[in-house]
Amino acid sequence: MRATLSYLPLVLLAVAWEAIARLNLVDSSALPPLSKVGLAWVDLIRGGELVNNGAASLYRGSVGLLLAVLGGGGLGLCMARWRLLDVFVNPLVELFYPLPKSALIPVTVLWLGFGDGSKILLIFLGCMIPVTIGAYNGARGSDHALVWSARSMGANRLRMMWDVVVPSALPELLNGIRTALALAFILLVSSELIVSQQGFGYLIGYLGSTGSYEGMYAVVLTVAFLGFAADRIYQLFIQWLLRWRD
Amino acid sequence: MVAAMARLDDTASLAAAEAQISRDAARRLDIAFRGGAGIFSILVLLIAWEIFARSGKVTAFMLPPFSAVAERIYADAIGGELWRNLWVTMFRAITGFAIAAVGGIALGAVMARSRIVRWFFDPIISVGFPMPKIAFLPIIILWLGLYDVSKISIVVFDAIFPVVTATLAGLAGVEKELIWSGRNMGASERELMWQVALPAALPQILTGLQVALPIALIVAIIAEMAMGGYGLGGAMMSASRFADSRGVFAGIVEIAIVGYALIKAMALIRRRLLVWHQETAERH
Amino acid sequence: MDGQSQIIIERVNHTYRPPRGRPVLALSDVSLDVRPREFLALLGPSGCGKSTLLYLVGGFLPTETGRIVVKGKPVTAPGPDRGIVFQHFALFPWKSVRANILYGLERQRMPRAERERRAQAFIDLVGLSGFEDSYPSQLSGGMKQRTAIARTLAFDPDILLMDEPFGALDAQTRALMQTELLNIWKRTPKTVIFVTHDVQEAVYLAERVAVMSARPGRIKAIIETKFDDRDPGLTRSKEFVEKVDELWNLVREEAIKAQSIKAQENQEKKPSS
Repeated sequence: MRATLSYLPLVLLAVAWEAIARLNLVDSSALPPLSKVGLAWVDLIRGGELVNNGAASLYRGSVGLLLAVLGGGGLGLCMARWRLLDVFVNPLVELFYPLPKSALIPVTVLWLGFGDGSKILLIFLGCMIPVTIGAYNGARGSDHALVWSARSMGANRLRMMWDVVVPSALPELLNGIRTALALAFILLVSSELIVSQQGFGYLIGYLGSTGSYEGMYAVVLTVAFLGFAADRIYQLFIQWLLRWRD
Repeated sequence: MVAAMARLDDTASLAAAEAQISRDAARRLDIAFRGGAGIFSILVLLIAWEIFARSGKVTAFMLPPFSAVAERIYADAIGGELWRNLWVTMFRAITGFAIAAVGGIALGAVMARSRIVRWFFDPIISVGFPMPKIAFLPIIILWLGLYDVSKISIVVFDAIFPVVTATLAGLAGVEKELIWSGRNMGASERELMWQVALPAALPQILTGLQVALPIALIVAIIAEMAMGGYGLGGAMMSASRFADSRGVFAGIVEIAIVGYALIKAMALIRRRLLVWHQETAERH
Repeated sequence: MDGQSQIIIERVNHTYRPPRGRPVLALSDVSLDVRPREFLALLGPSGCGKSTLLYLVGGFLPTETGRIVVKGKPVTAPGPDRGIVFQHFALFPWKSVRANILYGLERQRMPRAERERRAQAFIDLVGLSGFEDSYPSQLSGGMKQRTAIARTLAFDPDILLMDEPFGALDAQTRALMQTELLNIWKRTPKTVIFVTHDVQEAVYLAERVAVMSARPGRIKAIIETKFDDRDPGLTRSKEFVEKVDELWNLVREEAIKAQSIKAQENQEKKPSS
């Protein structure tokens, strides 16, 4: 009940949207009624456009993000444990952190064209740094006493990495991945919007250019909802994973 | 439907996650900058780039040598095109950022004080923050056209969320003893907000701004790429369309420098404003 | 209006309502009178509601049942007639020592020259000359608390409410600050309510000690602790040691009770979290 009440403002916004559109307070092409957007959404699902393009986007996003998590996480952990690597790579992390990641869009297109490859590369490059920073900080912060006691109990380096360093780095690593998740959505949608022949972003642009604004709104809201839901689900996953903490 | 159960706390933790990453990066940027390690690693990177591009393993289209890219930047600078694009991009990003900063702090402060405003905006902020708001770009173009207004609007729309959450979290975290002290000395409610609560929340508000700034840059460049016209993003995109790889790499270098300078400047401002704070004292 | 009592606390109850969980009765039927220029200590185990009582007198929390009257007027809001000093100083970290002390004077709309003069006088009084422009983060704990005391004394409240002001300091600093507080009090006599859980501190500083019971807090006993001369050597005298012993016996059983209340609460908390 309390949850419903706290979501009332969103319902009010939806009602206001419907009312404004129905009363023709604004041009109906600029703001189609929400109900028509809903119908357009059903049509897009039935026609398969939303599903096909969505599948393409999710494929690119998840592969790119997975590579970023593996690459960035591995790099961050190794940097924290091997001093030589730290000395060489850390300045590069610092150098690339402030780069507005969207600037990579034309470069990845130049290298890999308009297809899946360029999107995956973009998300990989763009999302790697927050994961690296999270893993690095987490592993650096891991308790020396724990590391030493694991060593003294005869754990070798790799074993110790997995048993001690990864679990204690986990909270910060997971934080880094959460930031990367949000960034992945931004990069995915914008690169598809700008250069693509498939995906959510492409579909939004295509529907907009053909003047079917109900459909465009429907896809925009779908993407927005997916971004929100992905963050919530990921957060529940973190809570489950870290349930051993107080 | 568990996924849809959002509280502002959940969003605040996303904000905290982003803030942690950005704060740490800014701190290390600072150390690297001071220690000269950053400059050294830039040099190594540029030399490696030059050697690799000339090695014949890649075509000049895939990776033009750095010297050629530098020549191109120089030519653009002489021709004046660089300055024009730079000015336009900075104007959009910084105007949008400034509006998001002022609006976000104001909204956060009002939400902290008024229950009704808080009730209304709570779900909007907590649902809106994790959304990829860039997806709304075509709608904003539809409403506001292709010019600066729509580019600045999408920047504001994206950058305002971390500022609001940071302000709210900062104000909620102000120790009640601090407020009570102010009240004890005869401060009015208005004076308490301006003279006690907001200054006490300043470290967190600045962290929110430090999260918002890179977002503003990213989004300004995306908007330029999508809408074309002048600006660093637009110039890069048209270079890419004409297969002008030198132009693309020139754009990357320019944007990297702009991003570096802005984030560095923001860290400096933070240090100036927080001379009184523990974190600044520790650094000296 | 310089009658028998400056502060009258009459049959006050207070219920603390946490955002989650059951409401807790923090104070039960508390009555207490404080005379003008008296130094009264509120002594009790942690969690007994002694700070809550102080906040009620300060007007920071609303009085729900019973009444609290200060100088003939019921307390409804905080006011500069009742200055408060907190355990964790509550200094404005973005203001220098001087600016912290000036803040209250500015709010009282005191003329500029006057408030500068007054601020300096109180900086000198608490021995912080030379640190006027330091920020709180650059000061030691003892210096922070001196600043907080100077800040409160500067706007000249009739009543000083002190909430375990030396609780966050190390033992040596604490002893020094106690002596200093007594000196200041002798020079500018004010009504002081001093909250502490340290028996020795209460006996050393106060003229009267109100012992509070474990939760819900009640006034268990009021003990006179008047000594002719309060120099640091007093703490070794026989009469002092006996007083401490007497009070300690009263407090001990409450402290044990308080511990078991706490343990019980932690038990209750666990399954839900």
